[in-house]
Amino acid sequence: MKERRIGANIIGFVFLVFMGFPVYWMVTTAFKLPKDVLRADQKLWPTSFSLDNFRMAFSRDYFVQSIMNSLIVVSVTVVVSLFLALLASIAVARTNFRGRSALVVMILIVQMVPLTALIIPLFLQLSSLGLVNRLPGVILTYIAFVLPFVIWTLRGFLAGIPVELEEAALVDGCSRPQAYRRILFPLLAPGLVATGIYAFIQAWNEFLLAYIIISSQDKQTLPVWLAGFTSRTGTDWGPLMAASVVAAIPAVVLFSFAQKRLAVGVTAGAVKG
Amino acid sequence: MAAPTTEGRRQALWSYALVAPAIIVMLGVLGVPMVRLVLLSFQQYGIDELISGTAKYIGIANFTAIVQDAEFWAALRRTVLFTAYAVTGSIALGAVLAHALVRMSTVLRWVVNAILIIVWSMPQLVAISIWRWMFSFDFSIIASVIRSLGFTFPNRDWFVNPVMGFGIIGLVVIWGAIPFITISLYAALTQIPRDYIEAAQIDGANRWHILRHIQFPLLAPVYVILITLSVIWDFQVFSHIWVMLEFRPSPDYYTLAVYAFQTSFGISQYGRGSAIAIAMVLVLLGATGYYIRRMIKETR
Repeated sequence: MKERRIGANIIGFVFLVFMGFPVYWMVTTAFKLPKDVLRADQKLWPTSFSLDNFRMAFSRDYFVQSIMNSLIVVSVTVVVSLFLALLASIAVARTNFRGRSALVVMILIVQMVPLTALIIPLFLQLSSLGLVNRLPGVILTYIAFVLPFVIWTLRGFLAGIPVELEEAALVDGCSRPQAYRRILFPLLAPGLVATGIYAFIQAWNEFLLAYIIISSQDKQTLPVWLAGFTSRTGTDWGPLMAASVVAAIPAVVLFSFAQKRLAVGVTAGAVKG
Repeated sequence: MAAPTTEGRRQALWSYALVAPAIIVMLGVLGVPMVRLVLLSFQQYGIDELISGTAKYIGIANFTAIVQDAEFWAALRRTVLFTAYAVTGSIALGAVLAHALVRMSTVLRWVVNAILIIVWSMPQLVAISIWRWMFSFDFSIIASVIRSLGFTFPNRDWFVNPVMGFGIIGLVVIWGAIPFITISLYAALTQIPRDYIEAAQIDGANRWHILRHIQFPLLAPVYVILITLSVIWDFQVFSHIWVMLEFRPSPDYYTLAVYAFQTSFGISQYGRGSAIAIAMVLVLLGATGYYIRRMIKETR
């Protein structure tokens, strides 16, 4: 037993370095003095501590604006997609209607169509709707892209709540919407939080669609703003790493809360012991 | 199917009403563009058409053009090789780590898990930017570390040689894919009942036997899902290439996704770009269609 542990620990340690080093390098670079960032010979261990890179990043144009844009995009995406998905998943999980399995198939197929293939017609579509270079264009796109997963996951949470509870409420004289509001929603709350966090992270992290749809600087979301640190003359590495730390924190924090509920979803039930 | 009673019909109507808003959004934003992608691939569609909003159908001219285009075949070859490299790397490394996690000391497992979650949840652009910084021309930590080991290794443009460039870009993709693959495999591994393994050990099975005859067969369905998803994701890698090469990759780095994008948005040949995208979807469907159908059947 003992020597097996050692082998596993060595593998674990190697992966810790491989997976962790880029994160370490981002954080230590962010906190270095700017003159230590731009050195031909880099040192593995931090040699200085300063917040200059953060100051330089925050004083770049459109920093606050792009955070605001990201927050608008994220909050509308989360609220609207959760609402639409809640309605749809109730229908999928609780009733058996014609076309139900077609919907399930569609949800799966939608998740598998290459984004890079869809971008071209999507851009032209948004262009003809007058939604190019506007936040509503980004929001609408994000809602559609997170909906399949959100519906799918909520359906899973719903399936775990016994239908008898609602039926009992119906027998006791509740209307269907009342039964949903008083019985179902409170039980579903943890599922709503987890899927809401998923939608938040997707919308907060997404780069490519926003990069294509948005062209003016005052409408950039945070990842598009980050891409602007690179110009033809080079990249502002120190401030870029500082801003990257800031951009990564919300997603990392939220995800560590929701990970247990979301992670297993994809492959759950695949092993039948 | 519900009996055609009034109650049944009312319930069905109620269900349709609940699903309709989500369906309309998904059809409008995803369904319509999918159809439009097919139509576009048969059209002459450039800047003029974008402005006027009308387009002329030109039959299969876009497709005959790409089939005769050497650049297309080179891009297809690069895409296939890159996908093979990235999928093999991420599945193999993810599997090794998942099996090690099961037997690792609790503290180390906790730390590795934390790192996996950080990497997993990081915005893609942040992840790519870090690697671009690690492999920058003038200030690369990797070059510095190699030098500190005593080798002569001047700072360099890592992407002059596309083989090395794709090697690095693939590493970024693999690094980003390991958390999802590892955590999925680890979750599946811990679902295997302990009795199976104990029974095998009593019968004299060693670790390799357990891996080969118990863990691997039981995990096979999970592997199929993970490989299929990885092929789909890695085949269409775009942002990694685009951002690592500072938003202007040289033709040596055109995979199908980059080539389709460049043809559409770079030189405004949207019809031709769509034809490349369609070819990409067809190749992908050919490679994974069977498994996707099986996955759909199982989830029903």
